[in-house]
Amino acid sequence: MLPVIRVARATFHEAWRRRFLNGILVFAILIIGSSWLFAYLQPGAELQMVIDIGLGSIRFFGMLIAVFLGTRLVPDEMERRTIHTILAKPVSRAQFLIGKFAGGAITIAANLILMGLAFYAVFAIKAPAFVAEKPEDALIFQAMYGNIAKAILLSFFEMFLVLGIAVVASVIFTWVLSVITTFVLYFVGQMADLFQQLSDPERGAGLFARIVLGAAYRLLPHFEIFDMREAILQGIYVPWTTLAKTAGQGAAYLIVVLLIGYLVFNEREV
Amino acid sequence: MGPATSRCTYRLQNPNHHAACAHGEAVGRCWVIGLAIKTENLSKVYTHDATGRPVGLMDLSLEVEEGQIFGLLGPNGSGKTTTLKLLLGLIFPTSGSGEIFGHPLGSNAYKERIGFLPEGPYFYEHLNGIELLQFYGALFGMGGSQLNARIEELLHLVGMWDRRFIRVRNYSRGMRQRIGAAQALINDPDLLFLDELTSGLDPIGAMEMHKLLMSLRDRGKTLFLCSHLLKDMEPLCDKVIILNQGRQCEMGRVDDLLRVEGQVRLELTGVSEEFAAKLKASADEVMVRDHLTVALFGTQSAALESAQAAAAAGATIAHLGAHQRTLEEVFIAAVGGDE
Repeated sequence: MLPVIRVARATFHEAWRRRFLNGILVFAILIIGSSWLFAYLQPGAELQMVIDIGLGSIRFFGMLIAVFLGTRLVPDEMERRTIHTILAKPVSRAQFLIGKFAGGAITIAANLILMGLAFYAVFAIKAPAFVAEKPEDALIFQAMYGNIAKAILLSFFEMFLVLGIAVVASVIFTWVLSVITTFVLYFVGQMADLFQQLSDPERGAGLFARIVLGAAYRLLPHFEIFDMREAILQGIYVPWTTLAKTAGQGAAYLIVVLLIGYLVFNEREV
Repeated sequence: MGPATSRCTYRLQNPNHHAACAHGEAVGRCWVIGLAIKTENLSKVYTHDATGRPVGLMDLSLEVEEGQIFGLLGPNGSGKTTTLKLLLGLIFPTSGSGEIFGHPLGSNAYKERIGFLPEGPYFYEHLNGIELLQFYGALFGMGGSQLNARIEELLHLVGMWDRRFIRVRNYSRGMRQRIGAAQALINDPDLLFLDELTSGLDPIGAMEMHKLLMSLRDRGKTLFLCSHLLKDMEPLCDKVIILNQGRQCEMGRVDDLLRVEGQVRLELTGVSEEFAAKLKASADEVMVRDHLTVALFGTQSAALESAQAAAAAGATIAHLGAHQRTLEEVFIAAVGGDE
């Protein structure tokens, strides 16, 4: 276990110093911090704008960080040959891969916490004004604080899954291909439910289309389940069991992805 | 019993070994030697060249005894790095097999007992000397005061104690080499793989590293050295293997490879062209290196006769004695003199 922790720690310390990722984080915080400015673009829907831009930025920039960090974690070690001195020690390839993933996950968590705090700060500053405009919605606003925390918590699981896919893609493909693969899986994964609807025979789907779309629905990661913005806007209470179920689905998919990554990496020459 | 020229390294590590192994030697006279490395027809084919000849490493069979200093020599592209990577389990053989301390290549079981310094080592740039060694020590499960004491000892040993807080990104090539040696020694390994140990070091640094190697050998460590610096390797190695184009050209104990039975060597300076022509006619072999003319004779009398003639012709006798080849000559003969 100690080698995993040490590799993870070194990975985090190194990743935290990557200027490109720091740039994304600063830009994300600027966008989140100024989301209330954009609210004036849509009079009457200021709250929706703040939440859409804030949570949307956390997900989008979190995804960018996960993709660009995840696809470099292992290839950088191989290109700089630091991996040679590590794997020549009693460190298994599984420990190395898990360590790299864990270090990346800690980095992403730190980024999401900072972005989340920025969003919370904006929301906490602007919320009293919204409550003053609509006093009858005070209870809904109270529920929103909890829902926002849950939405940010879910984005952790979502980004860990993106990171896992990026890391595994990087040990299988070249860097460019692994970036493309991760982006495609992320964006297509947002529409996983659509594949199920399209594969419905009542919609006229043929046998071949049903098989292909059904397989896509079952195999693709379901990233849309991590999006809670609608529930937040409507003030719907999201129970912790729903959260746990969503996190569990993400974790199960992540374990399968990392297992595939391990099987490939175990045979990979470094 | 194994050869009486090597010490039993296992006994050095385990004082009770002589009792446990029951081979009948008295205490302190135990000569049972294990094999640190053994490979049989180890091959790694990357691709084939235009003539269909495989490119990589072919049919490497070697045995390295515990306590031995073993040299892996060869020109660029000869398969040295491939051999090291195979032994460390970083790449996988196409065919053949190998063992380190009795464990198959790539197994984590032997990695507890080895150290590795790659050529031009790269480390995490954001760490300083102490943090770097803490990182590598932790990979062996080391920690606490035991690790701190080991780090202090190693930093003194490689001459980096005063520079222990400098970040790796600010290291010179020599400093990287020194800290690389320290990380290779962090677990007090029984077997050390050192790729171009003195690369990037100034003469004093190189001399310190040689002293370090000798002290490691005296402690019964097995050293596997990769280098193209033949003059450095000659006094250090007990046994060498020479690779060329992925194939084993020569292997043996250094003494055996250098020895040439029955030949006498005459080294001269200030040889005129006229006398050089005479020398070629009387000697078995004549080599000219810079200002030194080296002639080899089959008999002592022939050599003496030529020495007298050389002195009479105004040449200076630099050396006259039994011929022993240098490792460089062995190397050039093995790889065909083209490298």
